[in-house]
Amino acid sequence: MTEHPAHEHDPLALESELPSSPMTVNLGPSHPAMHGTVRLVVTLDGETIVDAVPEIGFLHRGFSKSSENSTWTQVMPYTDRLNYVSPYLNNVAYVMGVEKLIGLQVPERAEYIRVLTGEISRITDHLTCIGAIGLELGAFTVFLYAIEARELLWDRIAELSGARVTVSWMRIGGCANDLPPGWVEKLRECLPRVLELTDEIDVLLTRNRIFVDRTRSIGVISGDEALDWGFTGPCLRACGVNYDVRKAHPYSVYPRMDFEIPLGSRGDTYDRYVLRLEEIRQSHKIILQCLDQMPPGPIIVDDWRYALPPKKDVFSSIEGVMAHFKLIMEGIQVPPGEVYAYCEGANGELGFHIVSNGKGKPYTIQVRAPGFPILSALPRLIKGHAVADIIPIFDSINMIGGEVEQ
Amino acid sequence: MSDGKPAPPGTQPAAVNTGGGQFGAGAGQAAIPAPPKTVRLEIDGRPVEADARDNLIEAARRIGVQIPYFCYHPRLSIAGQCRMCLVESSDAPGRLVPGCQVRVKEGLKVTTTSPAVKENQRGCMEFHLINHPVDCAICDQSGECKLQDYYMEYDHQPTRIRTYKLNKPKREIFGPLVVYDAERCIMCTRCVRFMDEIAREPQLAVVQRGTYSLIATFPGQPLDSKYSGNTVDICPVGALLNRDFRFQSRVWFLGKSPSICTGCANGCNVYLEARGTVAYRVLPRRNEEVNQVWMCDEGRLTHHQVDENRVEWPRQGRGDEAESVGPRLAVERAVELLEPVMGKGGIGIYISAQSTLEEAGAALLLGKELGAERYFLGGKPAGDSDDFLIRADKNPNTRGVKLAAEAFGVRIEERLPEGIKAMFAMRTDGLPEAVAQRLEMLVVAAQNEDAATRAADVALPCMSVYEQDGSVVNWYGRLQRVWPSVPARRGDSAPGWLWVERILAGLGFTHGVKSASAAFQLVSSRSADLAELTLERIPEQGVVLPRLLPADWPKRAPRPPAPPPSEQRGPQTTPPGTKVGDEASGGSR
Repeated sequence: MTEHPAHEHDPLALESELPSSPMTVNLGPSHPAMHGTVRLVVTLDGETIVDAVPEIGFLHRGFSKSSENSTWTQVMPYTDRLNYVSPYLNNVAYVMGVEKLIGLQVPERAEYIRVLTGEISRITDHLTCIGAIGLELGAFTVFLYAIEARELLWDRIAELSGARVTVSWMRIGGCANDLPPGWVEKLRECLPRVLELTDEIDVLLTRNRIFVDRTRSIGVISGDEALDWGFTGPCLRACGVNYDVRKAHPYSVYPRMDFEIPLGSRGDTYDRYVLRLEEIRQSHKIILQCLDQMPPGPIIVDDWRYALPPKKDVFSSIEGVMAHFKLIMEGIQVPPGEVYAYCEGANGELGFHIVSNGKGKPYTIQVRAPGFPILSALPRLIKGHAVADIIPIFDSINMIGGEVEQ
Repeated sequence: MSDGKPAPPGTQPAAVNTGGGQFGAGAGQAAIPAPPKTVRLEIDGRPVEADARDNLIEAARRIGVQIPYFCYHPRLSIAGQCRMCLVESSDAPGRLVPGCQVRVKEGLKVTTTSPAVKENQRGCMEFHLINHPVDCAICDQSGECKLQDYYMEYDHQPTRIRTYKLNKPKREIFGPLVVYDAERCIMCTRCVRFMDEIAREPQLAVVQRGTYSLIATFPGQPLDSKYSGNTVDICPVGALLNRDFRFQSRVWFLGKSPSICTGCANGCNVYLEARGTVAYRVLPRRNEEVNQVWMCDEGRLTHHQVDENRVEWPRQGRGDEAESVGPRLAVERAVELLEPVMGKGGIGIYISAQSTLEEAGAALLLGKELGAERYFLGGKPAGDSDDFLIRADKNPNTRGVKLAAEAFGVRIEERLPEGIKAMFAMRTDGLPEAVAQRLEMLVVAAQNEDAATRAADVALPCMSVYEQDGSVVNWYGRLQRVWPSVPARRGDSAPGWLWVERILAGLGFTHGVKSASAAFQLVSSRSADLAELTLERIPEQGVVLPRLLPADWPKRAPRPPAPPPSEQRGPQTTPPGTKVGDEASGGSR
């Protein structure tokens, strides 16, 4: 310790700044307040953040390389593990890309199911984010409410696909199976409860003095700067930039849906929170419209070049068994070409750049993970704030290790 | 034989054989005048420069357009059985013509993608599958089956047949190597034509009529031709199966690597198909000047001989006193035995013709350094032969060992070792127990256990030809490369030249034979025939050493330079290297 004998005699000296040297602190990779397994190397001047370097790679699984060694259908489980909080959306973005390459028209019912499950996933993703912000700012009740709502939806997802998170449920040309009997009714039953819980979170947090103080004007970024960084999704819209793939480049049956894109104005942590809350309500609206409009019919294309034949045919006809064999052993034959397919993921534009050389396996696949550019801007967002502000800022960008690190 | 001159290339006749349509009709068919060499035509709107002997299938293949077929085989006569290759031609407007039978013609316009062609292909597949059993899960052909491939490409629809499938004989044993499943058969008759035209032993025939027709052997005459295995290769479906390979492995687990068959002196080019360290089957690899696309049944089984009863670990001591020791101790023991007798006389070197050229070279080098007086050429005993692919000499490298001995300037005797006290044997094939027992001292590098390895003072495990880098010389002097096609899994086994190098190092010589290339250099640096060559420079199809070419050739043996295709039945005009799937199966695999 440096001694400052002047203090003993000069009471004003107590008010002056304490001299200090920068200190480097590790936050993560395994820290209860860090989302996912990511490490932040933070340089501090006292309590103030001078610099930060996010270090990723702890969840790297070699998505691209693994995909090159699997058939087009076998890539599906890898996409689940990108943004594992909203796996359906990853599935959809990927199959949209492959279908674009083939030029495949998906049955209408499958399109509705895709939008439906996608919006459920968006709600679960936003609930996770909001719940975590609350939890890490001390509002444990909020977390419990959010998780209750999320579990209600994940139960529905589990009934649909057999898994809560790793669904692998989309198929090239449609989906794996139809909605089980009674499932729509169950969903209709649990949706009001989800909304109710969302409203309670709203009441608990949105005008909460402590919460507002911790989030308002914290981690501010302007719309232009956010665009420069490559922001998309809620983080971009919180800055007032109106870009949502569902409206800007409508796909699937979104043009038939009546919903709005909520926009923020300040681009701070608070806006990112409120925006997610509002998006949950919009997604709820889309889900109800899907349930109302969904026509009966096939849920996958009736073409054995792309969709597995029904089991009855596989076991009892040579045509079925051969189609099954070729699809499983050699994979769907996708014509050579290159596409970029993208949809509105829960955190922004989720894009797949897919190259085919006409074989049963992808030549290469790259993912535009929405979380990656946003995480890159994290140092910019937290610089100048206090250590304690890292947590709400980091929560509000909702970084998901699975997709950022692939 | 070695001083023979290369045979003059066959004079090109002014006629070609059209193939025909009847079994066995090829020989008696009238020759038509040879058309001009190159023909320009248009396939799917793209210009093609085709060989005048091409049919539409081969011409289309030149520009990468695939016309599907089951019954056509580039080396067999034309049958027109399967109707899968029907295409539109400007010569026959309003109907479809078989691509296998129609030859190219100047200015011909061919369409392979019109709706009529597609509808025919789809219909053909549907008919072919009417009586086909639901067998993929238990069928060996699964994964390399033309029915599967074409179904996905040209049909991909559910069946519309609402009747029971016809039941036929399910497992007819045709012969020692071949089993037949009549239900899977699509009656392409490739096997019948092969037996008639290539094997020239008409042992198969079509019996019954219409839907009930099937392939059968004649009463009391099984399919025992020495070339019967080829019918399995060319069978486009799972009707004819190799009994040796049946139910042993799924084909998609097998890795495929080129090699040379070690069954006889012909040196047929083969693919070894292995899973892990085990070879499961041997398939012919195309080489017009050695085996075309065929091979004999005996050759298909060579991997068993190689695999069985291997010397796995180095050991010392004779008979019951033998004990396994590490490679270093074994080499030390060999050095211990050889050092006292070095240069003292009474030393012999035995080289089996099963060795590669590199191993022979290394053994000769060891003999030179030891001051060996006599060299003996050993090998497997001679067997049957014919005028096509089977040679009486059952060793892959007799010419190579002789060439190496010549290079080293030593006389190599083709007789059992005698008149010596100590001997080093590079592989022990054909070394009788009595001779081995008589020797005061015997060091061997051996691949398989036999009487001689049991009598050896030191036995060193040798890699097989399928497991190591090197080269062999076939009966007419074609130097061909072998590769480590199957990973060696056996104990401490090493190439023979490496054992020699270790012994030489122990004796205090530094020759630096650390690689197969260096071992090849031992011979090539001393031989005018190999002067320009290194191991790496040997092309995949091998290289002919002109001085070694014999004067007399078996009547039908493929020879260099490859005879003009017009002399062959159903010429395979596609240049080697064109991807036709696996060429031996005529694009069936």
